[in-house]
Amino acid sequence: MSVLPQLAVSALLLGGVYALIAVGLTLIFGVMRVVNFAHGEFLMLGMYLAFWAFTIWRLDPYVVLVAAIPLFFLVGAAVYALVMRGIIHASHNVQIFTTVGLSVALQNVALVAWTGDFRFVRAWHSDAVLRVAGAAFNLSQLVAFALALLLTLALFAFMRWTRTGMVMRATAQDRDAATLMGIDTDRVYGFSFAIGIAAVGTAGVLVAPLYPVYPTAGLQFVLLAYVVVVLGGLGDMVGALLGSLIVAAVEVGGSYFLGPAWKEVLYFVLFILVLVFRPAGLLGQRGAETLGV
Amino acid sequence: MVTRYVTQWLPGIFFGLAAATPLVTRDAFFHDTVILILMWGAIAGAWNVAGGYAGQVSLGHAGFFGLGAYSVALLAVRWDLPAWSGMAVGAALSTIAGLIIGYLSNRLRGPYFALATIAFAQVLLIVASRWRELTKGSEGIPVPFRPGFATLGFPSKVSWIYVALGFALAVWAVQTYLEHSRVGYQLAGVREDEDAAQALGIHSRRLKILAVAASAALTSIGGSLWAAYIGFVDPFYVFSIDLSIEFALKAIIGGTGAALGPFLGSLLITSLETYLRAQFSGVRTGFTGIYLIIYGCALIIVVRFFPRGLAGALAVAGRSGAAPVPQPADAA
Repeated sequence: MSVLPQLAVSALLLGGVYALIAVGLTLIFGVMRVVNFAHGEFLMLGMYLAFWAFTIWRLDPYVVLVAAIPLFFLVGAAVYALVMRGIIHASHNVQIFTTVGLSVALQNVALVAWTGDFRFVRAWHSDAVLRVAGAAFNLSQLVAFALALLLTLALFAFMRWTRTGMVMRATAQDRDAATLMGIDTDRVYGFSFAIGIAAVGTAGVLVAPLYPVYPTAGLQFVLLAYVVVVLGGLGDMVGALLGSLIVAAVEVGGSYFLGPAWKEVLYFVLFILVLVFRPAGLLGQRGAETLGV
Repeated sequence: MVTRYVTQWLPGIFFGLAAATPLVTRDAFFHDTVILILMWGAIAGAWNVAGGYAGQVSLGHAGFFGLGAYSVALLAVRWDLPAWSGMAVGAALSTIAGLIIGYLSNRLRGPYFALATIAFAQVLLIVASRWRELTKGSEGIPVPFRPGFATLGFPSKVSWIYVALGFALAVWAVQTYLEHSRVGYQLAGVREDEDAAQALGIHSRRLKILAVAASAALTSIGGSLWAAYIGFVDPFYVFSIDLSIEFALKAIIGGTGAALGPFLGSLLITSLETYLRAQFSGVRTGFTGIYLIIYGCALIIVVRFFPRGLAGALAVAGRSGAAPVPQPADAA
């Protein structure tokens, strides 16, 4: 059996989920200029939502998804109003530690409320293995990939073709000019944050059938999402999509050639190299990282 | 007027009380808490050298802490060398890593620097947990206890109080130096406005690199002492991002602008943590997480509304001609 098709399929399937996580992160950064260090915790909350809905009401994660999108949008809007609004114009350090504080608080709320036990969502599709052209993968992986990609593309279309999307892009480009054009930037920030959180919360619901659910489950994903968005250029949504494919390819290739134990070193080294030599990302403009981002 | 003396004499009161602990009580649990408050306070102070005084906010200081801890453990287990040599090796490695990361801090600002430091600690975490032949991987390494000064094998907690106190005073002295010396003022200038500082002829790049390297070495020494005291290193703890965040959390809540700030932060956070662990151990796993919920929320409020932390609040309470305190958390 040839391993290459299997590797390619696995990379692609992983990439779709990373994209949905990373797109939210990069959207928030692009518009608000804030790196959300609590991004992974919203992923974790999405996973717990899927777990509890599955455990209590026997609801399939894909059904939960319908409720998760508006729910996490509201959560995002609430967190923006309570926490993020006040730090938009603050210094980097205030922004970093506000989101770090949020991350610490949310992780430990989950720990206190639901303990540190690993929990699993064993839906029927978690174990349904499909075989196509020599590549094996399970149904949850495929559906997670398809839905993640669908939502990511929907978000792209929204940003590209709707008026609100245009307003968001304008604010991302130049917040002062946007204000002068009569754009209510506060609403744009809130809306962008809410969308970013909706995306990552939804991603959490999607990966719940595939990975164990625990209070720090978001960490591994979000570390990857940082690699992805820095590769693609912070704030660059197309770059995030490209970055997720690269990271997924590095991850799958690395675990094949170096063994699963060492693949993570590979992408963190990649991350540091990109930060050092091309911090604006592969597609980004040089110098963005030293400007007042 | 009374309050003024309180803030001026606070470091003396704080360290004096720590030194007097063995005279007041023989309770081993209480001694342990004092040792941990001093050690974590000193490490938060070491973080503060880079994060506060130089304005280079790191979320990867657990990397240096872990280097120090693992150096002691590995040199003792693999080559039978005393703890002091492990501490020296760890500090040397951390200084080199700190020089490299300090160099990066000139290329990367704000969130980019924080992300790079996270990646640094993660790489070390993966190496320590996967290089089984050397580190025994995720099992961790018990640090052998060999009585004697050279091996840091102190049988009594009382001696450990004074070891921790010595380290704490050293870090406090470094911070105080950075508050009142020429180098410290230059560093403050670089932190507040790097371009203006350069225009005045300050070697801003070199200063930042040195500050990060010094911070790294001190953090590593703290890691070495901690490993010798606790007697066990576990990669998922000593290199964890949670630990990096806790260093910063203690420094910021206590106050980054004052040499005593990180110690006050450690006093608050470590004592609450220890209290909750003692009260709720076994009642329900994870319940001690309550202290981190409180301090996570406190962090959000402190950085925004009290950028000078607890020490700053005390200074305001005792204000009467007190020297202006720098506000690193405000620096862009």
